Order: sequence, then structure tokens, then C-alpha cells
Amino acid sequence: MSNVEIGLWSFPVLLGMIFLRAPIGLAMLICGLGGMWLVTGSPNMILSKLKYETYTTFSSYSLSIVPIFLLMGHFAGIGGMSRSLFKAAESWLGHHKGGTAMAAIGACAGFGAICGSSLATAATMGQVALPELRRAGYAGGLSTATLAAGGTLGILIPPSVVLVVYATLTEQNIAKLFLAAFVPGILAAIGYLIVIALYVRVYPESAGQQPRVPYGERMRALISVWPVLLIFTAVVGGIYWGIFTPTEGASVGALGTGLIAWASGGLSFAKFREALIATASGTAMIFFIVLGAAFFNSFLALTQAPQMISAFVVEQGYGPWTVLAVILIIYLILGCVMDSLSMILLTIPIFFPMMTSLDFGLSQEHMAIWFGILVLIAVEVGLITPPVGLNLFVINAMDRTTPIVKTYSAVMWFVASDIIRIVILAAFPAITLFLLT
Amino acid sequence: MEKFVRKLALTSAYAGGTVLVALVLMTCVSIVGRAFAFAGLGPVKGDFELLEAGIAFCIFAFLPICQLKAAHATVDVFTSPLPDGVNRVLIALWEIVYAAVMAFIAWRLYEGMFTKFQNGETTFLIQFPIWWAYAASLIPAAIAVAVAVWSAWDRCRAVATGRDTRPLGGEASH
Repeated sequence: MSNVEIGLWSFPVLLGMIFLRAPIGLAMLICGLGGMWLVTGSPNMILSKLKYETYTTFSSYSLSIVPIFLLMGHFAGIGGMSRSLFKAAESWLGHHKGGTAMAAIGACAGFGAICGSSLATAATMGQVALPELRRAGYAGGLSTATLAAGGTLGILIPPSVVLVVYATLTEQNIAKLFLAAFVPGILAAIGYLIVIALYVRVYPESAGQQPRVPYGERMRALISVWPVLLIFTAVVGGIYWGIFTPTEGASVGALGTGLIAWASGGLSFAKFREALIATASGTAMIFFIVLGAAFFNSFLALTQAPQMISAFVVEQGYGPWTVLAVILIIYLILGCVMDSLSMILLTIPIFFPMMTSLDFGLSQEHMAIWFGILVLIAVEVGLITPPVGLNLFVINAMDRTTPIVKTYSAVMWFVASDIIRIVILAAFPAITLFLLT
Repeated sequence: MEKFVRKLALTSAYAGGTVLVALVLMTCVSIVGRAFAFAGLGPVKGDFELLEAGIAFCIFAFLPICQLKAAHATVDVFTSPLPDGVNRVLIALWEIVYAAVMAFIAWRLYEGMFTKFQNGETTFLIQFPIWWAYAASLIPAAIAVAVAVWSAWDRCRAVATGRDTRPLGGEASH
């Protein structure tokens, strides 16, 4: 077997292991190590590589931002900011038909601005908004689907853990990626609001309406969310204007949210320990996949399979847009069964060289950023596509009275809005890139 | 035994968490110091190097709790229709492999530490020997091996008895 063949064969083997329930990071690690052994014909390379590679992967400065963002998200979850965001959004939107659900989307968007994780956003806002939605007489399926979809705003709106990993893999500037994600993130929130407005017109019995809130009270509610705005501006602005590195920005954010949570009385010692444990297991999960991917990708690079695949695609003369469409569809399909980070770590080393060899009429840097945002949205859809959307499970577990099929059918409306948004952003790169120029 | 392993994993996670919080504070102090450079203050010397060494320790220290809570990302949509017994066998199998791989990683980390010790490599700015950072990471790595071995044994026991001490599927997070 030639090296390229070994490289190509590793994919079915890897997927087979993953589908047989192997932890994804473990499967990649084993395929990577085994593959290197096969290609070089001796175990020496893996023995010497493993001496330093685990430590260097875990001590990466650019990835050190990940545990800090997770910690920040968990602090934000216990700091009562989720409640004040929801109250503020509800006072402005509640009197519309479907307004409480719209408020949940608004609050998710706000929370996404201080939390880089989708599940944490869905879970935190779910605790606050689900009881309120039930009280306001919303149908179970609409409520759970709204929060599952709203949760994805957590990774779409910067800061975003997935973007950090993409930036590291493709050696792009994190600050620019965060900035580029901003407008698509806002578009996502607007798209979800439109979905709710349409849904409650088609199924009028599924939603209630709240009394109108006077403007004075609305302003007060809005002012009460200043900590969120402050932290978002400090973190994302500070990173973008080069006042500090992304890791430093995340540290400032974590300290800030921690202090606010403490000042609000939510951060007891027990809660603090809970936040540490949640951060610990989330971080370990991510870094184990990153470690596996590091070995799998250096094995692939050794076989030269990625270059061969991308050369093959270019030789076939497929148009760049066809290739892009196929890539995005692959993400949508993979997203039905796999989590976002694993998908990115597994596929970017193959897809990215392919993309750089195609001509979209953009500079390399702009193409990388635009592609990153498209991938981010495509993998995020995976969190809410049935049957295996993690956000759907998290939210559904909180609302025992709603059968999962109800959530499935309502969430398809949000998935439709996601797909429309991907098409628009793919067709008009300027929407993503204009803030950068 | 189970209690002891749980305690071990929790202690390790708290140790990592404490270091993480300390690194966050150090980084913030460093930023303040840099901002007041005109007043004679300055950033923490070697803050990047300390952060890198510290984060590596954190990640190793976080691994045991992740394994114990079965929180590693998996795809179970294809296996969940199968009977519980089959799933238990698969899980036990992968946990044995995980324990073996973790032991392999820890052993190589030890060898790496030894090499760094011999060649006396130090970090760029504050010049602390790199083998210290390896040694610090080696402790939680050893705990990760111990917890993984226990966890694999526990899963094998579940295959034999048909009773799980921990949920089959874990909570994955992003």
C-alpha cells in the first residue's frame, strides 16, 4: 500500500471506530499513531514525537484561551446576568405576539456576547426562560426549539471557542475572525426573530402575549444589563484594538464576570467549585480531541493525502462554488451525528488547502476568514439538527413535559433560517468582510 | 475504592482549576502592570511562559474528572439502538484502550522530562528549566492513568454484572 492509500484508508477506519462509540479524540489519536507507524515502518517516530507533543499541544498559548473562556461562561451563568438580560429583552419585546420567545432569543444573543459556548448558553438561558415561557402560555415545542436555536448564538456571536480552534488550525488572526463573526451573528438573531414571528402566525395558539411595559421601566431594565456590555466591549474590543492578546482578553473577561457574579451574591464557594468542575471536564474534552487531531493530522501530512485530495479536486475542474457547496453540505450531514469541534478538527486540514487552491476572487486572508465563518455556521446548525443535536437534548432534558418530536418539528423552522443565512453569506462575502476593510 | 478514585479525580480538577484562576489573575496583573509602565510598573516577567507551563498542568489535571464523568465526546447514535449489553462491551473496550494510551502518553512524558533534564533547556525569559514544567504535568498525568485504569476495570465489572455504576453516555460540552 502506498502512503497516500494508507492516508485515504485511515478515514473509513477512523469513522468506523467513532461510530462504534470510541471517544473521538481517542479514535483520532490511535489512527494517527498507528498510521505513522505504518508509513514510517517503525515505532521510532511516534515514540520520539510523543515525548514532547502532548506537552506542547496542552501548553499552546493560542489555545490557552479555551479554558479561560469556558470559565468565563460558567461564571456568567451563575452571575444572574442571564436573568437581567431576559427581563430587559422581555420588557421591549414581550407585548408582541410571540414576544417572550423573541425575548429569549435576544437574551441568548446578549449572553452569547460573554459566553463562547453554545451548550452553556442554551443551558443557562433555558433555566431562566423556560419557566417564563410556560407561564406565558407558550407551546412546549416552540419554547424548547427557541432556546436550542438561541443557544447556537453562543458560538456565533464572539467570543467563540470554535473560532479560536479554527484560527489556530488555519493560522488566522483571532481578532479579525471575531470581528467578522459579529454581523453574521446579529443576522442569525434577526433570522430567529423572524422565524418566531412567522411561526406564531401559522400556529397562533402556540404563543401568548404580555402586557405592554412603560418606557421608563424598559430603559431601567436595559440599563441593568450594563455589565454584559462592558465585558463584551472590554474583551472583544480590547482584543481587536490590540490592547491585549486574545488570552489576556479572555482573562480580563473571566475576572470581570467572576467579580460581577460575586457582587451579585451568586458566586458562593459551592457554585465556584461547580464552575471549576464544569470548566475542567469541558476543557479536558476539548483538548483531548485537539491532541488526537494533532497526531492524526501530522500522520495525514506525512502521507500527503490532503495535498493529493486537493490537487485531485482542482484537476477535476469543479467550480469553486460547487466545491464550497459540497463542503457545506458535508458539514450539515456530519453535524447530524457529530459535535462541532470534532468536525472542524477532522475536516479543516483537508478542506482548507482545497479552499486556498480555488479562486473566489478574494485575498487569501479574506477567503480564510469568510470560509471560517461559513464553517462556523454550518457546524453550529449541527447542534440543532435532529436526531443528534446536543442543544436539543440539553433543553429537552429541562422540560420533561415536551416530547422530543415536538422540539424536532419546531426546530426545523430555525434550521431553515440557518440554511438561508448560509446561502446568503456564501453568495455575498462582503456581508462578513466589510467590517474588516 | 470508588470513593478514593472520585476524590482523586476531584482533587486533581480543583488543583487544575486553582492554577487556572491563578493564571487568570496573573495575566490581569500583568496587563495592569503594562498599562502603568509610565509609573515604573511593568508586566509580570515571563508571563507567557508561566501561562504556557501552567495551562499544560491544568489540562492534564482536568483529564481524570472528564474520564470519570464519561464526558469525552462520542457519537452514540449508531450504537444506542443496540442492547445495553453490547454498549457496555464497547464502552469497556474503549476504556481499556484509553487507559493503555494514557499510560503510553504518561510514560513518554516522563521520557520527555528526562531528556529536557539532561539537556538543561530553559525558557527564554525567566530561564526556568523546562523539565520542571514537564515534572509538574507528570503528576496529574499519573493520576489520569490511575483513574483511567480504575474506570476501565469498573466498566468491565459492569459488563460482567450488567449493572452500571455510572451512566453509559456522558455529557459532552462545547
